[in-house]
Amino acid sequence: MKNLILHLNRGSKSKFFFILVTAFFVITLPACKKEEKKLFDVNETGILPPNSGKNKLKTNEQYVAILHANLFQYALSANQIFEIGQCMESIGDQELAREVVISNFMNKPGTIIPSKSQMTADLDFFITDTYIRFLVRKPTEAEKTYFENYLLANITPTDTIMPELVYISFALSNEYMYY
Amino acid sequence: MKRRDFIKKAGLAAAGSFALPYILPSGRLFASSGTTPLANHVVLVMFAGGVRNQETIGQSYLQGSQMIYAPSQAQAELNVSGNIMPNMLVGNAPSSKILYGKGTGGQIPILPVLSNTLQQQGSLFTEMKSSSAGHYGGLNVLLQGNTFSSQGLKQRPVNPTIFEYLRRHGGPVDFPASKLWFVGNTIGNSVPLLNYSLHPQYGSQYGANFFAPLITFGPKGDAYLRDAKIYHPQDQLGPMYEMKYFLDNSFENIGNNLPNIGNTEAEKYQIKQFMKTMFNKTSAGTISFPPDHAAAGNGDTATVGYACEVMKEFKPKLTVVNLSAVDSCHGNFTGYLKSIHRADHAVGHLWNYIQNDPVMANNTTIIAVPECGRDLQPNLIKDSQNNFFGYDHSDANTLDVFCLMAGPSVPSNITVNAANNPNFSGQWVTADIPPTIADILGLKGDVMGANLLMSGAGSLFDKS
Repeated sequence: MKNLILHLNRGSKSKFFFILVTAFFVITLPACKKEEKKLFDVNETGILPPNSGKNKLKTNEQYVAILHANLFQYALSANQIFEIGQCMESIGDQELAREVVISNFMNKPGTIIPSKSQMTADLDFFITDTYIRFLVRKPTEAEKTYFENYLLANITPTDTIMPELVYISFALSNEYMYY
Repeated sequence: MKRRDFIKKAGLAAAGSFALPYILPSGRLFASSGTTPLANHVVLVMFAGGVRNQETIGQSYLQGSQMIYAPSQAQAELNVSGNIMPNMLVGNAPSSKILYGKGTGGQIPILPVLSNTLQQQGSLFTEMKSSSAGHYGGLNVLLQGNTFSSQGLKQRPVNPTIFEYLRRHGGPVDFPASKLWFVGNTIGNSVPLLNYSLHPQYGSQYGANFFAPLITFGPKGDAYLRDAKIYHPQDQLGPMYEMKYFLDNSFENIGNNLPNIGNTEAEKYQIKQFMKTMFNKTSAGTISFPPDHAAAGNGDTATVGYACEVMKEFKPKLTVVNLSAVDSCHGNFTGYLKSIHRADHAVGHLWNYIQNDPVMANNTTIIAVPECGRDLQPNLIKDSQNNFFGYDHSDANTLDVFCLMAGPSVPSNITVNAANNPNFSGQWVTADIPPTIADILGLKGDVMGANLLMSGAGSLFDKS
């Protein structure tokens, strides 16, 4: 009897040992899998300035039509656009021609331009609004900072036409010539 | 040797005349400049938009153009020849059937402005060949000294223009933008495209200023340009340009630059002031028009009036004036004759004006040359005034033109042609004009050295 019990104990022990070894491998083998190295990164993508999509040059007629709408908030007639385009064509220096056309508009009643006091009351708004009006985009922080610093440094108490000059500079800018 | 023969003949012809002071120590009369300018200013008149030698230097008037095509009963009346260009050419006016002047039916010839014709004062090339039979092609040749089959009609010149040669090789000090002017009589026919080329080594930054005064200072300019504000150059334009340049620098990263002929801010200010003055003078009727402009003028005489104003203000190194009223010849031969007569009046006035300018007098060379001629045979279109046939420009006769040149170092009273120059085996062509201008202004070597001129083209000073 004692031998039988001993045999049984011996059998249980080996079975227990077998189960223990199997369990060890079942548990530990997957844990021994070689660890994968995961690399976390950002997909490559082209970063372009906000004005990068402007690559089509406006015709003189398009330029004049848009300029007039920007300054007066209403459209020129087709005949006026055509005739102003002809005037511009009759001048060899196109930049000079644009200056003359703009300053001619500035001399007419009805231009919608903020006053100096409106400009200085909220410079940040003025700059953002001018970018949106002329260049159809918001300024970058660098651009905003430049104009804030420039205007604060250059507005004099006697100066009354700085907003007009800002508008002219935008209307003469190369970016304004493209869409 | 060819040159020496010409010089010999030229010397004989000019002996005793006021050309003597121009004889060089070497004994050569018609000498090119090398690098020393022969004159400080050049005026090129692209004369009149397609004229036949028959009506100009041929002086055959109605005899050579209408008589043989008219009904037999009308031929006797049309058998009349004579000179209708009394300012430019030597010759008596037609004795009858005058219909190119002023007054009713054009019966009164416009009095000459010059007491001595340009022919007497300078050299007349009677056998020049136009290098292109078309208007735009012809103008292109006169300005770029070359012609291309690939040249589009609505395209800027493929090769550099004389404006660009001068500004690039002459440098910004001697040849700033405001010292080169092209005064056109229209914005049609691609004329505004001629102030600079598409050539990658030249281009807009070396271009000339351009006005088409009949538009710029005409009713349209009056409506849309006249009221332009003139801002203070330092206090107002200074900040404006500063902000503009910031915006341009910001946009430049994208690579989009606009063509710019490079007037400085000071030059732009001067031009804007000039425009203001022109509007005022136009209103006041004080533009320097030719004397008979009010009574018998046309677009060409008006254009020359404004060209005189440009010269008065800017004293350009090179002024190019384009005249083209004679293009009516396609369907209005009477109008064509009137236009030749007026173009001559305009050129006479231009030369007279120059000789009364304290800076440009005796220091300016004028070159007048048509861009092309016209056909030998008429077309079938008769004008309404006299039933005269019109002429197009498409046959070999179209290539025959003249060239008249006067000014310092140009021998006076000389006719240059094969008969007078039997040892010259080459050809005088309209493509010679740009190197000739460069020669006068002391930049011939640079222009010839660029190797972009038509084969055989060279200074007329070397082709005589």
